[in-house]
Amino acid sequence: MIERTILVIDDDIDLVEIIRVTLEGEGFKVIDAQNGARGLRLASDEVPDLIILDVMMGEIDEGFQVAYELRNREETREIPILMLTAVVDQTGFDFDPEKDAEFLPVNEFIQKPVAPRELVDLVRKHLPTSV
Amino acid sequence: MDDQKPESVVNDPTLFVTAASLRGRSDWFIRLRWMSVIGVMTGVITADQIAGLPLPVKGIVITALITAILNVGYILHNRRPATSLNNEVRIVKVQMVMDLILLTMLVNLTGGIENPLYLVYIIHVIIASLIFKGKEIYQITGLAVILFTLETLGEHYRIIPHHHLMSASETIHEPLYMLMTLGAFWIVLIVAAYIGSTFMKHNRAIKDDLVQRQKELQDADKAKVDFFRFVTHEVKSPIITALSAVDLALDKNDGNEIVDNMLGRASRRLHQAIEIVKDLSDLTRGGMKSRGRKEKIDLAELTKKLLVSRKELIDSRNLILEADIPSSPVQVKGVPDKIEKILVNLIDNGIRYNHDGKRLYIVLMDVGSKVIFSVQDEGIGIKPKDQELIFEEFYRTPAARETSTLGTGLGLPIVKRFVEQMKATLKVESEPDVGSTFTVTFRKRL
Repeated sequence: MIERTILVIDDDIDLVEIIRVTLEGEGFKVIDAQNGARGLRLASDEVPDLIILDVMMGEIDEGFQVAYELRNREETREIPILMLTAVVDQTGFDFDPEKDAEFLPVNEFIQKPVAPRELVDLVRKHLPTSV
Repeated sequence: MDDQKPESVVNDPTLFVTAASLRGRSDWFIRLRWMSVIGVMTGVITADQIAGLPLPVKGIVITALITAILNVGYILHNRRPATSLNNEVRIVKVQMVMDLILLTMLVNLTGGIENPLYLVYIIHVIIASLIFKGKEIYQITGLAVILFTLETLGEHYRIIPHHHLMSASETIHEPLYMLMTLGAFWIVLIVAAYIGSTFMKHNRAIKDDLVQRQKELQDADKAKVDFFRFVTHEVKSPIITALSAVDLALDKNDGNEIVDNMLGRASRRLHQAIEIVKDLSDLTRGGMKSRGRKEKIDLAELTKKLLVSRKELIDSRNLILEADIPSSPVQVKGVPDKIEKILVNLIDNGIRYNHDGKRLYIVLMDVGSKVIFSVQDEGIGIKPKDQELIFEEFYRTPAARETSTLGTGLGLPIVKRFVEQMKATLKVESEPDVGSTFTVTFRKRL
């Protein structure tokens, strides 16, 4: 089986580490970036199999900007994106994943905190051609 | 008095009327003017036919007709949208000047100083002092003084005809009487203008001040909410990260019971911390009335949904659930999130503070213009002295603390606040160790 690479873009290094331990335990390779710009560069260079993106980094909507940019670039367009959000009514701006998902270029919204099992299941579900 | 837009006052302290508010005044004048035309016509017919006063009916009717024609002109003008303030000021001024001229004609035709009709000039001056400020008021007042003085002097010196109101009356040609009338008239008019303008100046100052303070309050409130959003986000992030770490450690733990036990406790308490942050956020954000759109909500469906989602929890406590919920929709109008929070908090309290194996009785009733929702438990109950305190933030009764570590102490304050915002009522009946009943009465307002 080929090793699948997951890119985690999140400015919380502890959370990145937790996700890394979770996913590496399941045999995935995890690379990470602490901000949007570095995340975009890494996504273009490494072309990971899936990207986990935090909705709120330095700027309130940095995650959204990164997601749009990923969808704009030829080489990253097809990569599935899981977007991590804080509890919805706490994001500080009004958006509703259920209603707004179709306007946002991500495959799934994951509400933090997410149980390790659940995260692994979601990653497997969205990996292309995974069984 | 003024229905001016507050922002115009805030942005431009010299501006005290807006084009729209002046247009409103102009429409009001038009209505008053129709009434005066009707009044004059009725008056002249009554005076001529019944009282038999020797009035120049034809002249008076013509004056009334001119007034009516001009009024139609003003109506046509007002049909076009109000464009600029200057334009509206100009048209209102034109109306006032024409009204004064027509009034002078009427005064002349109905006996001049013999007729107390000239008191109507005072009304014009008062209206001007309510609408305008400073020099405009005195321009209108000056015009009224000049017109009435010219009219009176004209009649006195027989330059214009004098129409007798009373057949033998000759007061107009009594210099002393004429001068006393004119003198009193000038003084009354100027004093009226002064009082009106001073009063309105004071009034406007108070209003400007209020508008300013209201704006400051709104700004402060917004700053508070913004700050709170920032704080809740900053607090929540580390909690979530810690919780994720604990959950991962729990997941990786191979059967060490002590580790499982401890991490399990840590995980539950971190969940509780997240709940507190969420509840606090609800309380501050929910405090803003403007938040959320009102919709029709079927409480029957919502209650059933909530009970289904809590079935496992209810079963784990061996509670006997009795739900008396109509099968047809029970609709109220409100913000969905807030209504759900009310129901969720009351139901969860009924579960949490019940004794194991006891009854949980949930009733939804449609009673005409109101809907009653109540949750009754047979649990720990609330002492009478605590029954008001439970609605205070973070207060939990000693019995509640003993029963469950997981409450946030914010559930009932949230319920109370949202109930108040919906203009619903909340009632609690409780006896220690017998149980509690919380009843919300919603107004339908469909």
